[in-house]
Amino acid sequence: MKILVCVKQTPDSTVRVKVAADGRSVDASQITWAISPYDEYAVELALERKDADPSTTVAVVTLGAARGRDALRQALAMGCDEAILVSGQGAETLQGSAVARALAKVVEEAKADLVLCGRQASDDDQGLVGLALAEALGWPHVSTITKFAPADAGPAGSFNGIDVWKEVEGGHEVWRASGPAVLTVQKSEKDPRYPSLPGIMKAKKKEIPEKDVAALGIDARAPSLEIVKMEPPPARGGGKILKDGDMKQTAAELVRLLREEAKVL
Amino acid sequence: MKVWAIVERSASGPRRVSLEIAAKAKELGDATAIEVTGLERYSSLPAVGPLATKAKADAPDLILVGATPTGRDLGARLAARLGWAYASEATDLAVEDGAATITRTMYAGKVRATVRATLPAVVSVRPGAFTLKSGAAEPVVESVTADASAEKLAFQRFEPSAAASGRIPLAEARVVVSGGRGLRGPENWKQVEELAGILGAALGASRAVTDAGWRPNEEQVGQTGRTVTPDLYIALGISGAIQHLAGMTSSKVIVAVNKDPEADIFKVADYGVVGDLFEFLPAFTEEVKKAKAAA
Repeated sequence: MKILVCVKQTPDSTVRVKVAADGRSVDASQITWAISPYDEYAVELALERKDADPSTTVAVVTLGAARGRDALRQALAMGCDEAILVSGQGAETLQGSAVARALAKVVEEAKADLVLCGRQASDDDQGLVGLALAEALGWPHVSTITKFAPADAGPAGSFNGIDVWKEVEGGHEVWRASGPAVLTVQKSEKDPRYPSLPGIMKAKKKEIPEKDVAALGIDARAPSLEIVKMEPPPARGGGKILKDGDMKQTAAELVRLLREEAKVL
Repeated sequence: MKVWAIVERSASGPRRVSLEIAAKAKELGDATAIEVTGLERYSSLPAVGPLATKAKADAPDLILVGATPTGRDLGARLAARLGWAYASEATDLAVEDGAATITRTMYAGKVRATVRATLPAVVSVRPGAFTLKSGAAEPVVESVTADASAEKLAFQRFEPSAAASGRIPLAEARVVVSGGRGLRGPENWKQVEELAGILGAALGASRAVTDAGWRPNEEQVGQTGRTVTPDLYIALGISGAIQHLAGMTSSKVIVAVNKDPEADIFKVADYGVVGDLFEFLPAFTEEVKKAKAAA
């Protein structure tokens, strides 16, 4: 089975994000870049499948700025077999639905049986590309998954369909895909693995072919979602702090405040 | 202007967020509430086809869905099928000059953005973004029959999570009670559950707690978990990592209880209690019980 994982390079989740002086983008000078967290879970799930069945090949692709190469290097160091960078003029500003069409070309060229994406990127938080990719491919998708496994034991290395655990309210639904599918990942059961030292050494030597997004021959036109303004979320704080008191009195006082002042009880 | 609101139903009737968007659709123009019927369990392909066919015929300018797991799944795939603009998790929305101006958070809640989407568009709307006026008439819902022949997946079974107790879904709850590592262990959640029960609240948790396996993943609030915007968010023994704050700072009123006065959670709290959680929690539960009984 060949799995293609689509990753996006986004600001590391532990860093603060500052709005830039133009008021409609973020200050890139302050950012440490990383694989978007949900995408990292997707890489982990793909690699777990490879651990269980070494005949599995895991490829990873990113589309955007050339610095995305670092995200690919990271995924290779974690254990992915190959990496593809789609970059070039216009790649960074491509709208979600056009990104999906570009990725569909990559999926077709790579002859992947299964595509994994994070459920949403941690920068735009849209949750569109994975599902639009499935649409562009004419494949079904299952969103917010936490696990997948081969449906039946078939001849080694062949693709016999998979069972997919989709996180829903109150539990998981198990769905079976008997053909190719796009899965968007909510979380992996284990934390994403750290690259091993040999993994890092191997990743350094691997070629990362770069495709020019223009050469994919897709229709880059897309309905636009234009950012008009960005601002920090409304400031909070200056709240009332209750301390040093008897907890019974404190509890009574808090209930009074929630009823009379905040009016939420 | 024609606006559709896609209605999702739970066992007890249309979901609250569906009523919220149906009311918003009415406010925006010529509104139609639509529900997909004939599916025992939601699945995208059987639902999207008939909706897209109807959308092409009726040509609405805007389709609203609730930003629930199902709404976000359906909304994105439907937008892709139609080739329309798509925006998720709107917290506000206005329409003028052939475009929708949408407020939504980005960077996992760390940035608030105003975006313009060209119409026609599909927009998923965060529960609670539009308050439902009491006494608002329930919308008349048109139904569209799912196309079972479009299905490419086969449902196998439902596996309930061990700790789930059929509570209110986190994303839609008006009150959320969340627990963190300060609770010391899963056995102490009985107290959290008791408080949540009295408040009619959904249960939340910090990532430390779900990673430790004390609570199921689906209860995780924050980046890589759920974003919540309840009227009241109560954080018990949660220190307030930036990823957690990103998922709950848009709550209307935040209460934090922590023994560490320097905990970051107090920076976003409207009411903070510095003290021992295990002394405070039973006393607070008792006081809430009294207040509820008196109300």
